[in-house]
Amino acid sequence: MFTRLRSYFQAMRQRAKFEREMDDEVREHIEARAADLIGTGLTRAQALRKARIEFGGIESYQDECRESRQLHLVENTVQDVRGGLRLLRKSPGFTALAVLTLAIGIGANTAIFSIVDWIVLRPLSFNHPEQVSSLSYRQKGHYGNGFSYPNYDDIRDQTAGVFSDVASYDLGQDGLTVDGKTAPIFTAYVSGNFFRLTGINPFLGRFLLPQEGKVTGADPVIVISYNVWRNRFASDPSVIGKHVSVNGRDVIVVGVAPKDFRTIFAALETEAFLPMAMVTLEPNRAPDMMTNRQAEGGLIIARLRDGVSLAQAQAVLNVVSTRLVQAAPDVNDGVHVYVTHLGPQGPASNSSQNPIKTFAAIFLSLAFLVLVLACLNVANMLLVRGAARQREMAVRAALGAARGRLVRQLLVESMLLAVLGCLGGILLGAWASYAMGSINLRSSIPIFLDFHFDWRVFTYAFAMALATGFLAGIVPALRASRANVSEMLHQGDRAASGGRQRLRSALVAAQVAGSLVLLVIAGLFIRSLGNVRFSDLGFEGQHVLNLTMDPHEIGYSEVQGREFYRQLLERVQALPGIGSASIAATVPMGEIQLGDPIAVEGRPAESGQTKPSAGYNFVSPAYFDVMHIPLLRGRKFSDRDEQNSERVAIINESMAQTYWPNVDAIGRHFSLLEDPKHLIEIVGVVKNSKTGSIAEAPSPYYYAPIAQHYTPLTTLQVRALASPESITQETIQTIESLAPTMPVYNVQSMSGSLRGLNGFLLYEIGAGLTAGLGILGLVLATTGVYGVVSYAAAQRTREIGIRMALGARPAQVLNMVCRQGFTLIGMGVLVGLAAALALGRAVRSFLIGIGPNDPLTFVAVSAILLAIGVAACYVPALRAAKVDPVIALRHE
Amino acid sequence: MSEQAQLLPGTLDLLILKAVSLGPLHGYGVLLRIEQITHGALLAEQGALYPALYRLEHQGLLEAEWGTSENNRRAKFYKLTASGRKRLREEMESWNRLAVAIGFALRAKPQEG
Repeated sequence: MFTRLRSYFQAMRQRAKFEREMDDEVREHIEARAADLIGTGLTRAQALRKARIEFGGIESYQDECRESRQLHLVENTVQDVRGGLRLLRKSPGFTALAVLTLAIGIGANTAIFSIVDWIVLRPLSFNHPEQVSSLSYRQKGHYGNGFSYPNYDDIRDQTAGVFSDVASYDLGQDGLTVDGKTAPIFTAYVSGNFFRLTGINPFLGRFLLPQEGKVTGADPVIVISYNVWRNRFASDPSVIGKHVSVNGRDVIVVGVAPKDFRTIFAALETEAFLPMAMVTLEPNRAPDMMTNRQAEGGLIIARLRDGVSLAQAQAVLNVVSTRLVQAAPDVNDGVHVYVTHLGPQGPASNSSQNPIKTFAAIFLSLAFLVLVLACLNVANMLLVRGAARQREMAVRAALGAARGRLVRQLLVESMLLAVLGCLGGILLGAWASYAMGSINLRSSIPIFLDFHFDWRVFTYAFAMALATGFLAGIVPALRASRANVSEMLHQGDRAASGGRQRLRSALVAAQVAGSLVLLVIAGLFIRSLGNVRFSDLGFEGQHVLNLTMDPHEIGYSEVQGREFYRQLLERVQALPGIGSASIAATVPMGEIQLGDPIAVEGRPAESGQTKPSAGYNFVSPAYFDVMHIPLLRGRKFSDRDEQNSERVAIINESMAQTYWPNVDAIGRHFSLLEDPKHLIEIVGVVKNSKTGSIAEAPSPYYYAPIAQHYTPLTTLQVRALASPESITQETIQTIESLAPTMPVYNVQSMSGSLRGLNGFLLYEIGAGLTAGLGILGLVLATTGVYGVVSYAAAQRTREIGIRMALGARPAQVLNMVCRQGFTLIGMGVLVGLAAALALGRAVRSFLIGIGPNDPLTFVAVSAILLAIGVAACYVPALRAAKVDPVIALRHE
Repeated sequence: MSEQAQLLPGTLDLLILKAVSLGPLHGYGVLLRIEQITHGALLAEQGALYPALYRLEHQGLLEAEWGTSENNRRAKFYKLTASGRKRLREEMESWNRLAVAIGFALRAKPQEG
């Protein structure tokens, strides 16, 4: 063993010597043999020739010698890499183009993948995240994930066999006052065992303790996030023990969570953690919610015990579900609890199809298509090079080099290109995802676009590069090494076979098809964005200024809050330059959307059927004037619709048609399922308008006076006579004059807030990304067409020369050269159209106002691609037609 | 030509060890020596000798050093190492056993009765 190792290392170290000595030895052998043969009467030349023939294939025997030292793999690879690098350096133009092409393909993929990584793959901040699951339930066709606290207690106590911890958390938005300055924060009210479940340690101080959070007010403590500690406390190391207030209540900072502590959503930072029982102090929460099974409480996460599977936990939950029904047959009738793994997209949501995943899948596929185009381009370039090097390959094969060896050498070259492309791609991708991460989401919620490159992204990029290098290189390598020796040596460069040209043509047609698909999808998104921008929203927001505030955050009681808003509206309406002003609990396409099951009078709920439900908004009387939502029948709200008067509502057309078809809805009644005591009378019907998202179809929606449903968190909406910006300053000053410490946020025009996540933003991102990928695809396809046509023309220089010498006119030559390119493009477009028709279905749900086979998009994209393709053919054809026959015939 | 036999797999190594055991040889010398000691009955393609020599050297059965050949040229001479000698003995014994066994087998006649 030792001798072998020593021999191996010696050989490694003295590689040059090894090679020289091996050559010497072989030469010596042939010389000696030749000398003997001369003795038998041959001439020296004859003898040398015979000696060589007797020896056999020198190169293959030398390979075997190297192999006997096990130098083969490592050494040959090192040699191939060196040789490959030398070759790449020798043709810098080719190298730069190939590397750039691959870098674009890999970069686009890496950037898109970094988003997918962030929203789909990167685990949340848990120790052993694979054990963490979230609970949801189904009840009579209704799906939910908010459990009442008594149900939470029962589930926790009865599943101790399968879960080591079952924790509850409830999300809220509260005001945090530090040193007299209040700002809104995104909070979680968590059960005491929540942090034990995470298995993570605090950055400073301590987390909440398991016994904390059971009794309201018993534990006035708060754990803040790293970012809040940095921004609000100036990274004060002595923050622990400091008194601050949450919604005006005194609490003590006991701990700081570590940086990037994402427990519930990958994208959202929970800015503070409060003990669970404090949630009852949130506005609009029942004071008895800790003991009331009717009141919807928090979400539940649970950690599986070691070795327990989700299926085992589900089996236990099946039993627990039955017991929950027995424990409270009235409330829990038909409840069934489900457990699912908690991934980075957050807790199980009520839509079975996650649009984010679909979105991610679509973009990853499109980026992949770009990489395929890049790969085809490089394969084509390598085929051309392979043709140029066929002679070299043939000679080496004739000298006995094994075909596998040649293939490997060529593959190493394409792999080198891929690795260089990968490095470039990672740089490009990092730049692109940095650019995407800086997109302004126009949101007050602390959403973090954290597309940093972790090991998953690097692995993905590298795997893509290796696959690309292999796929782009293998066919050209096999082709080049298959060179027919005698044919090559006799015919020279003209021997490039028709088969090669056919393969290259097919590759180019595929590129055209692929780029057509990319462009069609980009076109569909761009058309959708256009449709979205000019779609009828049902309201007019151009002159409306939005300002959000929450008196609860500075500790205002309901009485104080009502008084504050009454005075505010009065004063703002008196300002100059203002048409009208109102407050509303939510704004269209905003972050908060309200909706609840309702009971329609005279329409008994049939068991087993989906309950009727409606979205809603609480507004002050002037709302419909501010938003320009036209009233169709009945009346608007007035100041007489106050706290203690009869409950009233104004519904939209869709709600009238859905629940009161064929009759006038005015004067009819409905009630909230949660609150059956209060009948709500319909006093008006307004036109449908968009409320939740731009893409939504009209759905039942009603408005109720905010005076009858006190909501502290509201958005003040002011219609300006001129631009909204002109009245911003005065409006904020008016708020400050009434409540100097009131935090005011999301100050922007209604058109500005429409550009948010539920508004145009996703369409803008979608259109931007697809357009970017489409342009990349187009560039790749264009260079592909150009390359093939000009190469074919160059190969036919001699033929063209003969034709022209025989009297062919330049126009005929032009025609001849172009025809081939046109055929390719035509075939590519046809295939691409078919593929785009098939693939368009995948993006159907993201399109607005057009179908996935929108004729305008298809025609326009085909026309663009044809025009650019024709230009790409025309340039080399024109050059071919200018060939001077004399020079062409002297070519070889 | 027709008198020449194909080499059985593995026998080339044995022949090289035997040839070199009679005295240090360079590559071409090994070839001549094999021709001589087999009376020209066995023939391999000449180049095939070298991978075998390199393999045996790599296994530590042969050692090589550069010297001067009979016609005053630099040449690489192979000689047997101690473990090479041992291997040759083992190989010879097992070859002989095999040859005897095959010989018996081929001389067997159909038994009567």
